[in-house]
Amino acid sequence: MASGYNAKEEDGHHSGAPGNGGGAGAVKSKKPDNTAFKQQRLPAWQPILTAGTVLPAFFVIGLIFIPIGIGLFVTSNNIKEFEIDYTGVDASSPCYNCARNFSWNSTSSCTCSVPFTLEQPFESNVFMYYGLSNFYQNHRRYVKSRDDSQLNGDQTSLKSPSKECEPYRMSDGLPIAPCGAIANSLFNDTLELYYVVNNSKTPVTLVKKGIAWWTDKHVKFRNPGGNNNLTVAFQGTSKPVNWRTPVSELDPTDPENNGFINEDFIVWMRTAALPTFRKLYRIIQKKADLTPTLASGRYVLEVSYNYPVRSFDGRKRVILSTISWMGGKNPFLGIAYITVGSVCFFLGVVLLIIHHKYDNRNNSADIPN
Amino acid sequence: MDKLQHRKQVSKLIYDRTPMDLAELAVAEAVRMKPLPGNRTATCVTAEGWADASKLTWEVRANSRQHYRRCRKRSFLCFRWGRCADNAVRSYKYSPLTFLPLTLFEQFHRVANIYFLLMVVMQSVPAISSLRWYTTAIPLILVLMVRGLKDLASDLARRKSDSQINSQSCDVLDSQRFCTVMWKDLCVGDVVRVHKNQIIPADLLLLCSSEHYSLCYVETADIDGETNLKYRQALSITHNELTSEPSEKGLADFDGVAFCEEPNHRLYTFRGYLRWRGEDHVLNNEHILLRGTVLRNTEFAYGLAVYAGADSKILRNCGKLRVKLTHVDRLLNKVVIGIFVFVLLLSFFMAIGHGVFESQVARDAPALSALTPNGDFIYSAFLTFWSYVIVLSPLIPMALYITFDVVHVVHSLFINWDVEMRWEKNDSPARARNTSLNEQLGQVGHLLSDKTGTLTQNHLLFRQCCIAGRIYGDASISVEETQQMDLSWNPFASGQLFMSAPELVQQLKARRCPFSKEFFTALALCHTVMPERSKEGIAYKASSPDEEALVGAARDLGWVFHSRTRDNLTVLELGVTREYRVLAHLEFTSQRRRMSVLVREPGGGLKLYCKGADMVILERLLSGCPCLEDTERALESFAQACLRTLCVAVRGVPEELWEGWSKILTQAETMATSERDSTLETLYEDMECDLLTVLNTKAMLCTHMQLLGATAIEDRLQEGVPETIEMLRKAGLKIWVLTGDKTETAVNIGYFSKLLDPDTSLLEGQELREILHSADPGYSVSKARQADAWCVNKEMVWAKTALVISGPELAEFDKEPGIGAKLMGLAAQCQSVLCCRVTPGQKADIVQLIRKHSSSITLAIGDGANDVNMIKTAHIGVGIAGVEGGQAVQNADFSLAQFRFLQRLLLVHGRWSYRRISFFLLYFIHKTCNFALVNIWFSFFNGFSAQSMYENWFIAMYTAMYTSFPIQLFALFEQDVSAEGSLRCPELYKVGPRHQLFNPLTIAAMLAQTLFTSLVFFFIPYGVFHDSPLDYQTMAVTVSMAAIFCVDAEIVLLTRYWTLFNAIFLCISFSFFFSVTRLTQQPRLFLLAPDDYFFVGVSEKAFADPLVWLTALLAGWTAALPALIAFTVNIIISGPDKHRVHTISTPQLTEFRSKVKRIDSGRRSPRATSRTAGKGDVITSGTARHRGEPLLEDKLTADNGAIDLKMMPRDRRLPPLPPREPKPCEARV
Repeated sequence: MASGYNAKEEDGHHSGAPGNGGGAGAVKSKKPDNTAFKQQRLPAWQPILTAGTVLPAFFVIGLIFIPIGIGLFVTSNNIKEFEIDYTGVDASSPCYNCARNFSWNSTSSCTCSVPFTLEQPFESNVFMYYGLSNFYQNHRRYVKSRDDSQLNGDQTSLKSPSKECEPYRMSDGLPIAPCGAIANSLFNDTLELYYVVNNSKTPVTLVKKGIAWWTDKHVKFRNPGGNNNLTVAFQGTSKPVNWRTPVSELDPTDPENNGFINEDFIVWMRTAALPTFRKLYRIIQKKADLTPTLASGRYVLEVSYNYPVRSFDGRKRVILSTISWMGGKNPFLGIAYITVGSVCFFLGVVLLIIHHKYDNRNNSADIPN
Repeated sequence: MDKLQHRKQVSKLIYDRTPMDLAELAVAEAVRMKPLPGNRTATCVTAEGWADASKLTWEVRANSRQHYRRCRKRSFLCFRWGRCADNAVRSYKYSPLTFLPLTLFEQFHRVANIYFLLMVVMQSVPAISSLRWYTTAIPLILVLMVRGLKDLASDLARRKSDSQINSQSCDVLDSQRFCTVMWKDLCVGDVVRVHKNQIIPADLLLLCSSEHYSLCYVETADIDGETNLKYRQALSITHNELTSEPSEKGLADFDGVAFCEEPNHRLYTFRGYLRWRGEDHVLNNEHILLRGTVLRNTEFAYGLAVYAGADSKILRNCGKLRVKLTHVDRLLNKVVIGIFVFVLLLSFFMAIGHGVFESQVARDAPALSALTPNGDFIYSAFLTFWSYVIVLSPLIPMALYITFDVVHVVHSLFINWDVEMRWEKNDSPARARNTSLNEQLGQVGHLLSDKTGTLTQNHLLFRQCCIAGRIYGDASISVEETQQMDLSWNPFASGQLFMSAPELVQQLKARRCPFSKEFFTALALCHTVMPERSKEGIAYKASSPDEEALVGAARDLGWVFHSRTRDNLTVLELGVTREYRVLAHLEFTSQRRRMSVLVREPGGGLKLYCKGADMVILERLLSGCPCLEDTERALESFAQACLRTLCVAVRGVPEELWEGWSKILTQAETMATSERDSTLETLYEDMECDLLTVLNTKAMLCTHMQLLGATAIEDRLQEGVPETIEMLRKAGLKIWVLTGDKTETAVNIGYFSKLLDPDTSLLEGQELREILHSADPGYSVSKARQADAWCVNKEMVWAKTALVISGPELAEFDKEPGIGAKLMGLAAQCQSVLCCRVTPGQKADIVQLIRKHSSSITLAIGDGANDVNMIKTAHIGVGIAGVEGGQAVQNADFSLAQFRFLQRLLLVHGRWSYRRISFFLLYFIHKTCNFALVNIWFSFFNGFSAQSMYENWFIAMYTAMYTSFPIQLFALFEQDVSAEGSLRCPELYKVGPRHQLFNPLTIAAMLAQTLFTSLVFFFIPYGVFHDSPLDYQTMAVTVSMAAIFCVDAEIVLLTRYWTLFNAIFLCISFSFFFSVTRLTQQPRLFLLAPDDYFFVGVSEKAFADPLVWLTALLAGWTAALPALIAFTVNIIISGPDKHRVHTISTPQLTEFRSKVKRIDSGRRSPRATSRTAGKGDVITSGTARHRGEPLLEDKLTADNGAIDLKMMPRDRRLPPLPPREPKPCEARV
């Protein structure tokens, strides 16, 4: 295909034509300029590389990577993480019934309580994530199925959302706000955490603000017509089909967290990279006193089970995790660094041996022609 | 006439070497053109002349300017009308109005561009668009722009050169008066006046000239490169009628109509007739002055413009250069087509995967199933196929071709700019005429060289002569050392005579020896040279340097050839003017190998002076000629000194013999062409032959051919030829010399130019034939040579054998099937091959033979018209812009001024180009593929939905901005070894001919690496992003970063020559990535166009996240690891070698040199020659030898008796040792 793409025909053309056209041409001195560039003598640094200079690179890289890897690994191990799968696949699971009976069409929510025990106390801030598996939030059509203008508070887009939102664009003749599949499939389980002491449940304070990116909250997502009276602003639009409440009632208690700038909604709209992912749900702030954020002991997770995943073999989890400078627990990176560092080291040794072998052989052998 | 013309061309083609011959032919022919009594030229209407009169449809009316103005050729866009072109050259293609549409039209002829345009269109279809339209459009627009600008620049250059040509002035007759107009205003049908030394503006029909018989002389150097003057002559009728009256009026009244062929490209033929005053006169090539030729020796000439501008023969002739694709080009095209097919296949598999996913997985996920178009997974898969074609389109390196073009052009410019390939002497630099073959210069395996003018200077010097058996001058003293004789007594002496023979001068001045007087008279008379008198003296215009040298020598020694008119030759003999009347010119042909001139001396006597090849002359002498033996001995010694020899003889011709002979001659002249040639042949033979037997009976005044002597002309090797050949041989090139010269000369030059080592044996003639006909040539040779002392092992036999094949043998071999392959097999093992007596056609056949039977790249180098065929046939044609002029250069891909520049062209420019381009291509494909392939791995985790791994802007900028500059600079500046280093270690060149850098294997390795890289790019971030709160957009940025890190790390590993530009542009493109990414993810841009800048805020967050950095660094580094391993292994393996070759050879070599310097006399016995030089060569070339093996020298002395002297080359001078001292080569590879 690309073979047609070459310049030669033309080169032929102009080198042939003018030169002969009468045999006359201006007689100029053809002396080329004696400049470093034209003579290809640009001053340059030419590293003289021998095995002696290159081989140490492997060891140096190894020596850099392995400590980094160990550091990462240790950091990751120091992070406390607790994961609860509340999908309700097993019959023994407390949410089994909810999972079996629930579908998008259910009108009332189903609640279930998952008890669990923390063996160790969680110091510092604890991040509470919900995790989904086998949920293809990175599917191209899913990713596209949104209208950023609408979410940015654009009035025209609010009334006539982008075509990308099909089939979640219009509902009963009214434009859907927010439109599209992502919004429509908003994760809507409600999770509450209780600390159980002597059979009495103390609710753990979950902070629901500050979980979204700053740019998302302040730039990308904006309510139409400012933040005054969202009911008016969203008048003439329809809620997404799967939603129970209209967008203006996502968090009626806090106007700063309602409508498009509802942080749960914003977090959901930032689509995940891979089919198994977690999303920040709440933050449990460190207490002012010296008691741990989450003391060891028994807890109950109260779930209002609204989000069906069984149809596609999905899993729903709740993850409690402390964080470090590198974010949540991530053993992979540390191991990967150690592995690559070791491989470099090993390669260095192998190449060193080869180098010695080769050098010796050369010393004894004839000069190759 | 046509027959003669034809024969001229044929002899031109079949007879190699010898511009001399050509010139002689041309002049002899011109002399024959002289109008014989009876106005034969006009009335001699041959049958052939009229037979195709119907084809003569091009009608030109003289002096009817208005008519031709109307029918001018015009064009608008693609519509053309009008019949005849005006005289303006328009090589430009665009006008301001048409530039844009035309250049776009042209560019979209290229499949790649159409493909990408299609991509852009597809990307705007929402159902399949996986990327935004600008991801492809931006690179495409960039490519189109660069290309368009390049076109525009070259078009402007063309316009400039056009206008220079078009604005030259010429005189045109306008109503009874000549007025000066520009060339472009000349019209067909105009009567033009051309002055002496003016360039002829259009193809003119010569009407009359200022000279007798309306002869005029033209120099055709710009057309065919022949520097001799050609004769042209007007029709007698126009001559008679137009010169009798005042010319302007007569010309203004001239109302002839020329009917001729439609404009064509045949330079040497012209057919037509002139209808004037009711009579038809046949016209042929002799009446035509071609555009581009120069009028010489003629005050002025009048002509009728027949073909103008684009119709003229020369412009019809400057066809396009043949498109030559290099090996690399072809492989690259295959790779690109392969990638394209791969993209389609991948898309297909991905589409299947998508279908499966939609039907199995997405069906159950309500969030996805609702998005399946029409709920039909097959339709969805179909759409996904196209989406994948789009997503994977960055795999196809769109910018590659344009970048490749630019790199080629700059490499060619480097060749043009190289001051070290510029010949100071005539200010001619090297020129790359074809800008697309650079990398092939680094891959040449076979070098086919012409001999004369290429290896030798073709600047001939009269060095010795033998007069009456006595030798004058000494050729063993080099030209520079020759003492200049005192020739101040001769005002015409040029000081260019490099012969020291004071005794000869004494003899001449004293006029003691009649032999020497006759000898120089012969040299001054018997030739076809045209003198040109100027203030500085007399310059001789000869196409052949031989003749120029001979006539020049005669001039310097006092026999000054002064002028030539049609019938007379004037010679100043030691200041005395003598006029000789030329009675007949006995022309040169390749069969006759001699020429003669029959003159009437001022005293009244008739003399025939003859000059020709020794064999031919000697056999025509009367037996018992006095100094025959001495002369033969002299000839032998001349030949041994590599001098060209000619014998000179004279005979007195009795009056009655002339009378009889001239009668037959006149009859013969009027015969039909076919008979005439043979009759003339015998007639000439009669005259030159010893007619003793015949004459004795007829006349008592018995005269016979008497030998005067012999001349020896040195055709010196060009400067640096032996060194160059030695170096090229070390670089592994097989050098074949193809020449029209005779075997002995070629072999001598072979030894002389270090093409053959002193102890090389020749395989030729019968022996060669036997070996070729035997079943296993290799075996037979070993067997045949077993007796030879120096047959240490099989390789040694071959390394010291050269094939010598002659043209007739080659023709013979041609007829036998299968012999070509055998010959090539044999030649492949031999040191070199000499082909002698080959015709230009055979030269091309040999190139074909090599191309057919080996995969090696052929380079043909030559300087003459006879090399054009070979130059065109070879992969690379190099023309020497030398004495023989333009023909070879016009057809060549590269032109050089000297043979020795070839080493720089190949070993430096070629090697660099090959290396640069190979790595450039590999890297370029690698970098485009590795980043695009990530999409495939990502597909497995996004339901094969054609979701792109990258932000659109990244895809758009990746090839164009983030990664293109460093590799382009690499492709322009990279030097692994400096120019001096490349020349010091010619062995480094061997990489190219073996295709070691860019071959299917390296491409496969590169693709494997690409695969690995893309896997790393995806799976290391995957490990980090799996089950993490990090989102898709952060991952996109992470993978982009990893790709940039890896690509930059690899270019750092690749670059060995770090100029400031490399470093700066690496930093620039690296920081471009970060700054442009930050820029496109600005909130402000998002607010302007939310759909295009939806990555808002991602980089802000990602670039501050240590996890992202650590992931990207790890992925980038791991991906670059194979490159580092390859790099290290390469250093380990290649490092020590280079060191060793040179550290070892240096001390031994110096020792050897000092030994050689002691023996410095010019000549020595063959054995001494072979011994010393033999060992030297073994040492210098660093040939592998086992420790225990006795040295060659020892073997020779040990088996002294067994040496077959026949195997040794004949006595010859030791080739001059190159003055260079090898320095240790730096081990930078």
